[in-house]
Amino acid sequence: MSNNIGKKLAGKIAVITGGNSGIGLATARRFVEEGAHVVITGRREKELKEAADLIGRNVTTVAGDVSRLEDLDRLFAVVKEKHGHIDVLFANAGWGEVAALATATEAHFDQTFDLNVKGLFFTVQKALPLFKGGGSIILNSSVSNVLGMAAFTVYAASKAAVRSFARGWTMELKDRKIRVNSMSPGPIDTPALGKVGLTPEQVKQLAAQWASEIPLGRRGQPEEIAAALVFLASDESSYITGVDLAVDGGMAQV
Amino acid sequence: MNSNNGKKLAGKVAVITGANSGMGLATARRLVEEGAHVVITGRREKELAEAAAFIGKNVTAVAGDVSNLADLDRLYAVVKEKHGHIDILFANAGGGTIAPLATSTEAQFDKTFDVNVKGVFFTVQKALPLFKDGGSIILTSSNANELGVPGLTAYAASKAAVRSFARGWTLELKDRKIRVNSLSPGPIETPALEKVGLPPEQVEQAIAHFAGQVPLGRRGKPEEIASVVVFLASDESSYITGVDLAVDGGMAQV
Repeated sequence: MSNNIGKKLAGKIAVITGGNSGIGLATARRFVEEGAHVVITGRREKELKEAADLIGRNVTTVAGDVSRLEDLDRLFAVVKEKHGHIDVLFANAGWGEVAALATATEAHFDQTFDLNVKGLFFTVQKALPLFKGGGSIILNSSVSNVLGMAAFTVYAASKAAVRSFARGWTMELKDRKIRVNSMSPGPIDTPALGKVGLTPEQVKQLAAQWASEIPLGRRGQPEEIAAALVFLASDESSYITGVDLAVDGGMAQV
Repeated sequence: MNSNNGKKLAGKVAVITGANSGMGLATARRLVEEGAHVVITGRREKELAEAAAFIGKNVTAVAGDVSNLADLDRLYAVVKEKHGHIDILFANAGGGTIAPLATSTEAQFDKTFDVNVKGVFFTVQKALPLFKDGGSIILTSSNANELGVPGLTAYAASKAAVRSFARGWTLELKDRKIRVNSLSPGPIETPALEKVGLPPEQVEQAIAHFAGQVPLGRRGKPEEIASVVVFLASDESSYITGVDLAVDGGMAQV
């Protein structure tokens, strides 16, 4: 379809951090299908370019690291020049690594909080001047924000911080009619699991264990996160703000 | 539009209890717009007939009280005869009365739990044989399920019971691929507030009070609940089960 009939994000400008793979990429694709123009960012230039090719149209890429404030300035300068404003922000960039309390290094701690918490904080701060009269901000948290997970406590705590941001920013931004929600994926079929520092056999075991712990009996697909994001980004959720929407196959709900 | 292009619930059969006004009626209307056939129920025959006329097409009305098991049997006999199965159940019938702990009567307590808890329990039990594998059940809870609300504690506790049902039934029904979620409205512009037993001046005061407590600064509209039910009823929420989705303008989130 080349027209916008029935499209939920027709003409909207959406910025997606961590847009080069998995959840971010699937969401960018779906947003464009729904009529939006997307600006995506990610650290790896090659992957980012491949992502843009996959999305195909109405996409702008800006390589950068959300934990570096000058990269964020560059990102939003491009958004401003190209579109003049933002309607939807999906602060999605994040990272996790297995590390037990007893042995976790300072570098592990700093990297996790720099990207997942500080990076997200300044992503939203620096986007604010570009929001005009309303909008929707969605923060990528995780079901681990309410679960106890051995050897994943720094990640889980960083995601609890993200969930907390959604509560406070709901209040700070209500007068500007900007809704702020967090979205908490459960185990999703993305490349992220291969990057947390587990052996391939451990990844396999973990995937099997999760499948048995998840009421729906399987990991989610990135497209199922993207569908929830369209809902939270659109006017279909006009009376929803401050919530944490778990998209976890029921994992943390039972 | 006469075609089903872009309609999210094309050909689905939906049962909605408490559908003769407010959220239930707005939802029935929206589900029909999205291509569904709806069977609606409510206690007051005249209002129910008016609701059906308002919806206009693809609607069947069955008068009845969800706390009366014989009425539920009659409802589902009609559904079975007319459609043979159910895809979506919105167990929405419920109500509340101002009744402080110190002075609440046994009749007030019983009525609240009979309709809101026992009625929902058997509404879902008796619908189960009509679900094919797959489907979506949405229970109307309330953001009171996690708030302390003076004078409405039996109501709030009944809604906490409903939220709990969504957790347990997610597990009981997972092998049949039926997703179960609860939806928790905040203050919505419906006739319900006029029915809790307050004089008109206090209703006005309550509305102003709510607006001050809601980050979005206003009560929600029934249509803003309906759009969320469409999301939870459709495949757009295919990886969401067991959650309680607050549609409360942020009221209980901050």
